[in-house]
Parts: sequence; structure tokens; C-alpha cells
Amino acid sequence: MSTQAGSVREYFSALFDAITSTARAMYVTFKYVWAVKPVSIEYPEVREVLPDRARMRLFNDVLNCISCTQCAMACPVDCIYIASEKMPEGAEIKKTSNGQAIRLKLTQFTIDTALCCYCGLCTTVCPTECLTHSHDYEFSQYTVDHMKYDYLAPDVIAWRDRIVKS
Amino acid sequence: MLNQLAETINRNIQGANAQAFIPEDAKLHGSVTIEATKLFEVATWLRSNKELPFNVLQVISAVDYLDYFEVCYMFANFNPEDMRDVILKVKLTDRVNPNLDSICSIYASANFQEREAFDMMGVRFNNHPDHRRILCPDDWEGFPLRKDYVYPKMYNGMEVFPDAKMNFEDREFEARQKLISKAQNTASTDV
Amino acid sequence: MQSRWDIGTPERPTINSETEKLKTELLTLNMGPQHPATHGVLRIEIKTDSEIVAHAIPHLGYLHRCMEKHSEHLDYRGVIPFVDRLDYLAAMSMEWTYVAAVEKMLGTEVPRRAELLRVMTAELQRIASHLVAFGTYILDLGPQTVFLYAFEMREKILRMFEEVSGARMLYNYIWVGGVWNDWTDEQLKNVANFCDEMELEAKKYYDLNSSNQVFIKRTAHVGVMTTQDCFDFGATGPVLRGSGFNWDLRKNQPYSLYNEFDFDVCVGTGEIGQVGDCYNRYIVRMNEVIESIKIIRQVLTKLEPGSVMGKVPKIIKLPKGEVYMKHECPRGELGIHLVSEDGGKTPYRLKVKSPCFTHISMIPRVAPGQMIADFVATVGSTDIVLGEVDR
Repeated sequence: MSTQAGSVREYFSALFDAITSTARAMYVTFKYVWAVKPVSIEYPEVREVLPDRARMRLFNDVLNCISCTQCAMACPVDCIYIASEKMPEGAEIKKTSNGQAIRLKLTQFTIDTALCCYCGLCTTVCPTECLTHSHDYEFSQYTVDHMKYDYLAPDVIAWRDRIVKS
Repeated sequence: MLNQLAETINRNIQGANAQAFIPEDAKLHGSVTIEATKLFEVATWLRSNKELPFNVLQVISAVDYLDYFEVCYMFANFNPEDMRDVILKVKLTDRVNPNLDSICSIYASANFQEREAFDMMGVRFNNHPDHRRILCPDDWEGFPLRKDYVYPKMYNGMEVFPDAKMNFEDREFEARQKLISKAQNTASTDV
Repeated sequence: MQSRWDIGTPERPTINSETEKLKTELLTLNMGPQHPATHGVLRIEIKTDSEIVAHAIPHLGYLHRCMEKHSEHLDYRGVIPFVDRLDYLAAMSMEWTYVAAVEKMLGTEVPRRAELLRVMTAELQRIASHLVAFGTYILDLGPQTVFLYAFEMREKILRMFEEVSGARMLYNYIWVGGVWNDWTDEQLKNVANFCDEMELEAKKYYDLNSSNQVFIKRTAHVGVMTTQDCFDFGATGPVLRGSGFNWDLRKNQPYSLYNEFDFDVCVGTGEIGQVGDCYNRYIVRMNEVIESIKIIRQVLTKLEPGSVMGKVPKIIKLPKGEVYMKHECPRGELGIHLVSEDGGKTPYRLKVKSPCFTHISMIPRVAPGQMIADFVATVGSTDIVLGEVDR
């Protein structure tokens, strides 16, 4: 009988503990109802401002590229494809924005963003700083093939001014 | 410490032939190499002795050197007053059927680690209670981390990387890129 | 021919014949690969006797990405993004361990400021990782509130990391020879503010959950892993400390600058529940958050302006030899066994000793005799991340 009485007392004390501790927890929660503003943002209308260093889609400013292929070597997933050929004889040698001469003619600069792991290693080795991470994070496509960005294509050159960080 | 350990192992276990390897470069870690046949006895001794006890087996790491395998056992002693750790190595020259005694009954952590060593390197462990592959599927052929591993063409009747799905453009790019870099190198040497 | 409906003369069942006839067998139940309580793609094959687990067999490999094989074809810098993806909830700690192994072989001097920043980021990462650990653990057991609060705080850490490294989860921030970017004074001030906020928040979690009787009833005396079990299976980190054994690499074998800092090692005391049960593992993580805040505050006082990148050759070539480097990561000791050939540009062999892998191997030992609901609590309390287990 005594054990039964003990278990009954135990039962009710456990019940009491549960209620008091839950009440204390609820007190913390209720403070959130009025005191704390919502932290979520309504995405398509309101956009978060990304930090300067945010690593989103890669962008290559082909006018400054000297086809050194260092980015392709540094890439751990081999997603950068570069092809270039010798400049035709007697052509005018252009210079990049930081004064390096462009000796090779870039014929292909493609990045497969489906493979890209956004590690940023390619941007750090670039001698002319033409390959950068843009802040463009909305680039869903219908097929994987469309994830390949050819930076010599005319439409990419058209939005160059918009993307390139000054 | 490694010399002392090798000495004590030799004193206590006949034929263990423990040799301490201390690299000239002080940055690198040394190791103790023992005979493969005496592994079980050495492990039993390591766990139970009073002189230089090791109570934890941390990891088993198998390395393929093409003409032999090296199975590295990282032992450690978790005791704040008496800390030590050692890399105990076993050399396996048999490439076709490399096998070792399992030390599952001494260190329970060896169970999964030995399974992984078998899965990745094909080192077989005698008397292992549950000798299966662990990371690869059960019907996988070959041991992926061996240096002479050939990537399979077929798996379960399915073609792996079928040509129809391969992106040949990428390969062309790669080939072209190699040619270009070669041309560049020669051009730079010309100048 | 016997009719389908003709069942013959029914036997009058006696107790004996009934028990003979009724066949009992264990029910096989697959938990996973898609199960919220396994925190990833882990399949555990459970044999149950009604509600009691008779034995549990973990099946791994659903997230096997051949990271060790990949790294044999990459240069030493290129491995870092792959190491990030091991434990994606604590990528900073993973990077640091790998980088420390390479630096040890290379003999690089790391500038003091870079080393301090590494300590700071690793401790911030530890807080972030523990926030996920107990947030999701509590979510497994029912209450959802703590999860949301914890993720809000974690988001602040991730935001700080994003500002300094550029990515939220897979940073590639700690490099061979130092760190990628320096923290500005403003960012460091943010860290200080975060520490104050986190301290209040940690108390809130305690009120919300740690003292909650319902939660204690679910976790106390459940899934007991004794110290001896931990030694047998090589368990480390909060699992080992939860079993009442005082072992922390930061204190016992101080690497980097950890011997300069004053902090306590949190050990499961068994005040509530018993030593080695789910509750003690959980409370160890809770207390470690406070200790990490202590370390971060000390780092902030010690920071002096300076360079954050040491001198590293452009192409890293390591001498022939091997190194086994271990660091105290949020989930336990991560070990990197790095073997290099003479003058090789790529690792000859990279073996990762993952703490979660050893913790999963403990599940068959702990599971038998538990209820299924307790089993979920046990698996959650070991805090496994499958990216690290399968590699």
C-alpha cells in the first residue's frame, strides 16, 4: 500500500514539475509574440542585400582576359573551358585595364555553372582580375545544358556593364 | 617514445620484429612497423599491458604503394595523465589476397574501420564477425582506393557513363585546351 | 477437393497448442534512408520485438562521394572545397584540420592574427554546429520552438561568415598559410555583440527546454553509453564527455593557440539522469556553447592588427612522409591522415577519421532493449552528419 501511495505522489509531483517547467517555457515563448519582430523577408518583393564578398555566379570580363588558363588549372572540379589561338600577324596588341598585353586571342570561355562549386579559387589566381563572382543568384534553367555560360556570346557582353563590379 | 615502444613490443612478443621509424624531418610523424602475422598478439598486448597501454583504436588507414599495402593503425591512450598516440604499421606484400587478423574482439572500433579498409582497399580480415562492404554497394566490383583501380564500364547491367549521355563538347574543350597550352609553352620558349 | 470456405473442424485451442501454433518472429523495420530522425541519408535496419528493438544494423554509403579518391587527383589547395563538404555543418573546423595537416608537413609559419582568427571562426562554427545539433535533436523529440530560435541565432553566425568569406556554409576560408580575408573592425564588433546576445539566448534555451520535465523524461536514462563503451569504440567529443570522462584535445593536447585561453571542459555530471545518457550528451553541447563564447571574447581582446597570410609557395609540394593530425571538431575528434609522395603536388593518400563514423558504430551496441521512440532519441543525441560518415 505504501509503495502505491508513493507512486501516486510521484505521479502527481511529476505532473506538477511538467506543468511548471512547461509554464516557464511558455513564458519565454510568449515574450516573442509581441516583443520580437519577424525575421523573415518576403522574398521576390524584398531582396536581401548580399555582402560584398558573396560568391554567386561567376562572371568573366572577356575584354580583360589574357587566356592564361590559370583559373582552369586552379578549378578543383574542372568546370572552366578556355580555348585561345595566336593573334593574327600584325594585329594591334590591346591592353587590359591593369596594363597587361593581350597576346592570345580568346576563342572560347565557357563555365559550366552546374558543375561549379563556388569555392572561389579561380578568382584568386586571376592575374587581371577579370574573373569575378557576381551577385547574381537567380539563374535557374530548364536543362543542364543551359547552365553553361559562354562569356563570349553577344548577349553576355551586352549585360557586362550591369554585372561588372567597378 | 617510438623506440621505447618498439623495444617493449619486441621484449614481450616473440617474433613481432617491431621497428621504429623516426623521420629525419621532425615535422613528420614517425611510426612503428610490426610483422603482419603478430598483429593480433601485439594488439592484445597494447590494450592490456600496464607499461604502455593504449586504450583506444582511433582509425585504420590502408595505403596502397603499388608493390605492397601498408595498413596503419592509429592507437591512442585517452588518459589525461598519460597521453600518447602511435601509428602502428603492418606491411602486406601479397597483392592478390592481402589478409590480416581482425582485432575486433580487442577493440570494438575496429569493426567498422576494418570493413572500410576491406571496402576501399580489399584487405581481408580473418575472423571478422561481419565481413561486408560498408560504403560501396554489396555487389560492387573492385576496390576503389587502390592505385590500379580501373573505373567500371558496367554496373548491374547498366552502362556507367554511357557515350550517349556524355558531353563530348567538354572533352573537345579539354583536348583543345591541352593543345593550346602546349602551343603556348613552345611559344614562350621561342621568345 | 477442399472448398475455400471449408476450414475443417476447428480445434478447441488449449493454451499449449495455441502457443505452439503461434509463430513469433522479429519484425524488420527500415528506418531511413529518408527519415527525419536520421538527419541525412542513413538507413538503420531494426529488428523489433513488438516495440522493443532487438538489434539495429546501420547501412551506410548513401552519401558516398569518393572524396578520398577525388583528393588524390587534386592539388593541395583544391582539396579544401572538398573537405568543406565533409561535415557541412562545421565546415570551418574541417578546413582547419586539413590545412593544419598540410601546414605541418610544409612547415609554414602562420601569422598570429591569422591563427587567432582561425580559433575565433572555429569556435563560432562550434556554436553554429551545436545550435543545429540540439535544435534538430529537440525537434526530433517533439517541441519545435527551440529549433526556430536556434536557427535564428545560427543565421547570425552564417551571416558573419558570409560577410567575411563570401559563402554561408562551404566557406573555403581557411587557407594553407593563413586565412583568406581579414575581419574588419566592424565585423569584429558584430562578433562581440553576438557573444552578448548568445549568452542571453543560451539561458533562454535552458528555461525553454533543458529544465523541461517532459524533455527530461524522454532523454534521461536513455541510450546510456558508458566511458568503457566509448573507449572500445573510439568515441570522442560530446559523446565521450557526456559519459563523464574529461577529455578535450583543446585542453589535453593543445594545438594552435588553445593553451593561451582560459576555458573549462564541459563534462556530463549526471545531475539529471545518469552519466552517459542522452540528456548528458545534450547538456554538454549546451554548456560548450558558453565555453566557446568565453574563448571568442578572449580572442577579441588579443587580436592585434597584422598580416593574415604567411609565406606559402605558389605550388605546394610536400616532402615524402605522413602526418596524422587531429583536431577537436564540434562532433568529436577529426583526424586527417595525409600521406605524400616526394615532391608530389597531390596527396598520395588522404584518410579522414570521422567522429560520426565511430559514433554510428556504437548504435548496434546501445540499441538492443530500447523502445523505438527511445532509439530515435539515441540516434539524435549522437549528432551524426552523414556527409562526414560516408565521405
